[in-house]
Amino acid sequence: MARKPQENPALDMTPMIDVVFELIIFFVVTIKQEDLFSQLNANRPAPATGKSDSSESDTTVTIAIGAGRDANGVLVYNSREVTRKELDANLRDVARTSTKTPIIVRCEEKSPHKALVDVLDICYRHNLFSVSIFTM
Amino acid sequence: MARKSQENPALDMTPMIDVVFELIIFFVVTLTEAQRKDETIELEDGQHGIVLVPENLPPTHMQIDIASRDKNGRPLPKGRISMGDRELTPDEIGRRVKEKYRKIGEFPILIRADYDVKHEVVAKVMNACTENGIWKISFMAIAEDKTSKPGKPGRPHLNRVRKAR
Repeated sequence: MARKPQENPALDMTPMIDVVFELIIFFVVTIKQEDLFSQLNANRPAPATGKSDSSESDTTVTIAIGAGRDANGVLVYNSREVTRKELDANLRDVARTSTKTPIIVRCEEKSPHKALVDVLDICYRHNLFSVSIFTM
Repeated sequence: MARKSQENPALDMTPMIDVVFELIIFFVVTLTEAQRKDETIELEDGQHGIVLVPENLPPTHMQIDIASRDKNGRPLPKGRISMGDRELTPDEIGRRVKEKYRKIGEFPILIRADYDVKHEVVAKVMNACTENGIWKISFMAIAEDKTSKPGKPGRPHLNRVRKAR
C-alpha cells in the first residue's frame, strides 16, 4: 500500500486534539460532585449480655434515644428530655472533665437512625470517642 | 521482509493512541460500575466525624447499606439491607461477616443507613456483626453536603447542631 507522496510525514495532531477535547468536555459534563462523607465509630456490646458489666463505672454517661412523635426522635439525658443543643452543652461539660468518659447510648427500637447519628456526631464534636450502643 | 522504500520510517502513533483511549474509557466505565450503590439512601449530617476518603478506608472493609424507601420513594417499614447490589437478610450478613472474619480476622464494618431507618433494622445488622466477632461498627454520615440544593425536600434539618467554632 503505497502512501501518497503529497502526505505530510509529520504526525497530524489535529484529530487527536479534537478527540481529547471531546472527552474532556464529556467527563466534565457528566461528572457529579460527590458529598464528602464522614465516619462515626461506636462499639456494640454482645446482644446476649444486655447490660454492660465491667465497663460501667460511676462516670459513665447514658443518653437514651426514644421514638418521639416526629421524625427526629427524642433524646433523654439525666432522665430529662433535651434538645440537641442542650445535649451538646451537657457533653461539653462532660468532655471538660475527661474525654475518656464512657458514653452509653440506649436506643429504642422504633427510634430513627438519624437521632443516633446526631448523638454520635455531638460526642465526636467533643472528642468523646468511647461510645457504646445498646438497643432497648 | 523488506520495507517499501516510500513508507515513512517514523513510527505511526495513531493506532497506539486509539488503543490508549480505548483503555482509558474502559477503566473509567468499569470504575463507576464498581462503585454502584443504593441511590435511595439519604444520610444524616455528621460534620464532626472522621472524614472518609477512599485512601483511608482499608480495602478489607465491608459496607452495608440500609435503605428506608424503595426506588419510587415509598417507605419500607422493615428497611432494605444490601451489600453492593444484592439485597440480603441479617442472617446472610452474619454469614458473610463470619466467613470474612475467619479468613482475615478483624475488619472495619461501615453501615450506610438512611436517616429515616428505624433503629431496630440497624440493630439487627449490628447484632449480625457482633455475633460473628466484629464489635466496632462505623456509621456513615455527610461531612460536607455538596449535592443537595437548599430547599430540596427530603432530609429535614431540624434541631441540627451547627458548627459554631
